[in-house]
Amino acid sequence: MFKNKYGLLAIALLVVLGLVLAACGDDKESEDEPGVEEENKGNDGKKEDENADEEPKSGGTLTGAMYSAPAGMFNPIFYEEAYEANILSFTHESLVGQNESLEFIPGLAKEWETNEDQTELTMYLEEGVKWHDGEDFTADDVVFTYKSIAHPDYVEAGGIRTAYVQPLLGYEEYVNGETDEFQGVEAVDDYTVKFKFAEPNINPLYYASFTIIPEHIFADIPVAEMPEAEESRQPGKVIGTGPFKFTEMVEREQYVLERHDDYWQGAAYLDKIVWKVVAQSVMSGLLESGEVDFIADPNGIQPADYDMISALGNIEIIEQPDFGYQIMGFKHNHRTADDVESGAINPDNWVPNEKLADPKVRQAIAYAINREGLIEGLLYGRGAVLNSPIAKQFWAYDESETTNYTYDPDTAKSMLDELGYVDADGDGFRENPDGEEWILNFDYPTGNELREKSAPLIEQMLEEVGINVNLRQPKEMSAYVEDLTNDNSDWDLYLIGWSLGSADPDPTGLWATAAAYNFSRWNNPDSEALMQQALKAPEAFEQDYRKEVYKEWQKLFSEDLPAVILYAQNSLWAYNDRLQGVQPLPFTMYNDPHLWWVSDAE
Amino acid sequence: MYKYIIRRILVFIPMLIVLSMIVFGLAKAAPGDPFTGRMLDPNIDPEVYEQQREALGLNDPIPVQYVNWATRIVKGDFGESMYYKGRSVASLVWERLPNTLYLGLFSLAITLIVAIPIGIYSARNPYSMFDYGATTFGFFGLAVPNFFFGLVAIYFFAIKLGWFPSQGTITGTDITGFQEFLDRIHHMVLPGITLGLAGTASYMRYMRSEVLDVLGSDYIRTAKAKGMSERNVLYKHTLRNAIIPIITLMGFEFGALLSGAIITEQVFSYPGLGTLFINSITNRDYPVIMAITLLLGVTILIGNLLADIFYSIVDPRIRYD
Repeated sequence: MFKNKYGLLAIALLVVLGLVLAACGDDKESEDEPGVEEENKGNDGKKEDENADEEPKSGGTLTGAMYSAPAGMFNPIFYEEAYEANILSFTHESLVGQNESLEFIPGLAKEWETNEDQTELTMYLEEGVKWHDGEDFTADDVVFTYKSIAHPDYVEAGGIRTAYVQPLLGYEEYVNGETDEFQGVEAVDDYTVKFKFAEPNINPLYYASFTIIPEHIFADIPVAEMPEAEESRQPGKVIGTGPFKFTEMVEREQYVLERHDDYWQGAAYLDKIVWKVVAQSVMSGLLESGEVDFIADPNGIQPADYDMISALGNIEIIEQPDFGYQIMGFKHNHRTADDVESGAINPDNWVPNEKLADPKVRQAIAYAINREGLIEGLLYGRGAVLNSPIAKQFWAYDESETTNYTYDPDTAKSMLDELGYVDADGDGFRENPDGEEWILNFDYPTGNELREKSAPLIEQMLEEVGINVNLRQPKEMSAYVEDLTNDNSDWDLYLIGWSLGSADPDPTGLWATAAAYNFSRWNNPDSEALMQQALKAPEAFEQDYRKEVYKEWQKLFSEDLPAVILYAQNSLWAYNDRLQGVQPLPFTMYNDPHLWWVSDAE
Repeated sequence: MYKYIIRRILVFIPMLIVLSMIVFGLAKAAPGDPFTGRMLDPNIDPEVYEQQREALGLNDPIPVQYVNWATRIVKGDFGESMYYKGRSVASLVWERLPNTLYLGLFSLAITLIVAIPIGIYSARNPYSMFDYGATTFGFFGLAVPNFFFGLVAIYFFAIKLGWFPSQGTITGTDITGFQEFLDRIHHMVLPGITLGLAGTASYMRYMRSEVLDVLGSDYIRTAKAKGMSERNVLYKHTLRNAIIPIITLMGFEFGALLSGAIITEQVFSYPGLGTLFINSITNRDYPVIMAITLLLGVTILIGNLLADIFYSIVDPRIRYD
């Protein structure tokens, strides 16, 4: 009986094994097949390339992918996330855009001029621009857009873009309800609009670069009710001036954009762009099968998939450095419990973090971190070392005078030895110069897989030079940021990533002493002075002047080290080679999508 | 019977209140709020978020927030989402609930259609090749994690073979009527099987052991002895008794159908309650978290109630009063 039982069991196991093997065999076969297909596709691709000089053809549908569904807010003044931005960048436009070298270029405004002290910017608008519903675009739409953002109810309704209106003349009075007149933006005539600033402004075009919404659609909707209005969320009701109209959606699955025939720069070639929400884990398969034609912001493809996807043969990959970067910050100071309680950021009350007080210690730590190694190992080389907290694409990036911490554990060790951080009790870890225990607490968030993996690697690198690191459990992002902000804690080292815009390199948002995001609580008067100097009118109207000041500041940053800039990851955007006419800009793939066309259009 | 049902429903109410307090407390005790995870854009003044917190009442003491929330719930108002601007919680839940419900029922149907016959057949032919095969499959089904099976299924059946779509609930916006129904079913096949895999395995195991157990009992021997046909023995006596634990299981599964879909929905980008729940937790969208938790609580309680009622139908010895 028992023998029999086990015999049967064995047979059953054999059957299962056989099935598995058969499945594996299938696997190989099925892997081979697409291999053949790939070659075919590759040939097709070449043919298409040969034909690339051919005239663009009208028609065709393009399918784009994103990994998360948009939250559903398609009003440019209220949306928050990159997923909505994906759709809005095809349907809406701004007065000015940016080019390859990040200079502002005409958009809905064809030209502009500023007055002597840059307190006024006059913009001359394109005539004959039509909204999707056929109405004319005029200066009133611009005024309306800015007035809505400056409106007293705007923030409570959920708006966050007040940065665009704060420097405008009369903002305070208007937002506090003291007056119904907003002086900041004024329509001179139908096609001329004037931006007035409270003080001389060094980058006025940035403030004029906000996406415009139609007055005739929203005029009767109070600002407080805009977010729930159909005009802000329903396909067909969302109206812009862009080359594509938002016409249909299956909420959280598909978002359909159709050509806007009256587009002022000429109707687009493509009939339709369909956005699909797909799981990241199946992305490469969908690209391979052609179910998805392109994937770009905010995630693109994974560095680990780069080789596999480029080997598919039918996919083009755009690789460019990102504007953001990952840092390991040093807590220079902590706030007091009272300040955390009241939310005050008052540098006078800050408590210095003795464990990292000496800049030499921070420098030694920087030398001990193998940043190239992290880029090779985690990003598969798809990233760059940054020696300053300003993106490399900016005119302001200058590493000629910065201290560049090339991986050198021996320097790190000897620096620490000289400072008196030696292993006094023979436990393998250095003690501080007073012979006391010296343990650095190291915290990091979850959510970005590569950053998560980097934390234990950095711990290991620091322990190799004898620094005792207490790597703590990672925290989920919401919780992490709260702890990072409420920093009357024992934190010493922390990881965080910043995604930054392409508009201006001004670093005050992150590194000014009183900035909320200065999580290092870095307090260096010289840095403060330089950052202010770089923004001071009228000298700062000259970019060369600013460049010099930022050079100084970057040098100072690299010496005082509020943080080690770990790496800037490259954006990896991929698209099927049937798509033609793509001319990516440093910050987006969606440049002039009305000129995109597909080679197999009928 | 009716008295019993009413009494059970009355007992629900304090349970739901306690549940809501615990979940509210836990959700609030978790560090962070709807804004902390988002406030990492240096172009946005953190002061803006502070104003929005104040406006949403997030700066009030937690008991005050709970009372405010509960007062609104009693009036039937689930409030506004803090993450999906301008959307009411009710509209978000109603939009997703059908997707999850269809997927759950579809997967339950597959589960029962596959598991019960196999379970019965295995029990009637124990220790046969088929039984061992089914057992092996059962352990496989229990052992393989949902998301992994989902990915493998997508790889083979959607990408390599192209038989089924891998993502979403529908192909496009331009199909209607019966075509749309078929398209939706087509989209549900892979997630439905993935979701039902573990369930199929456990129902099958239960069914097998119950039938086996009943087949060995005295009254079955009596029935056989009096010359009843195999068929009648099986359907009239065996199944009726063997099905009772399955009903209990289904009572629990009812809630699991809604909550268990979370991972499967993620893998298949299937926009149901599961994805909404996960998002609302990461975004600390308290009103949505609370609404879904309450909904899950109510479904589990109702599921158990239904199971109890079905007991009395299947087994006349059980009477409630």
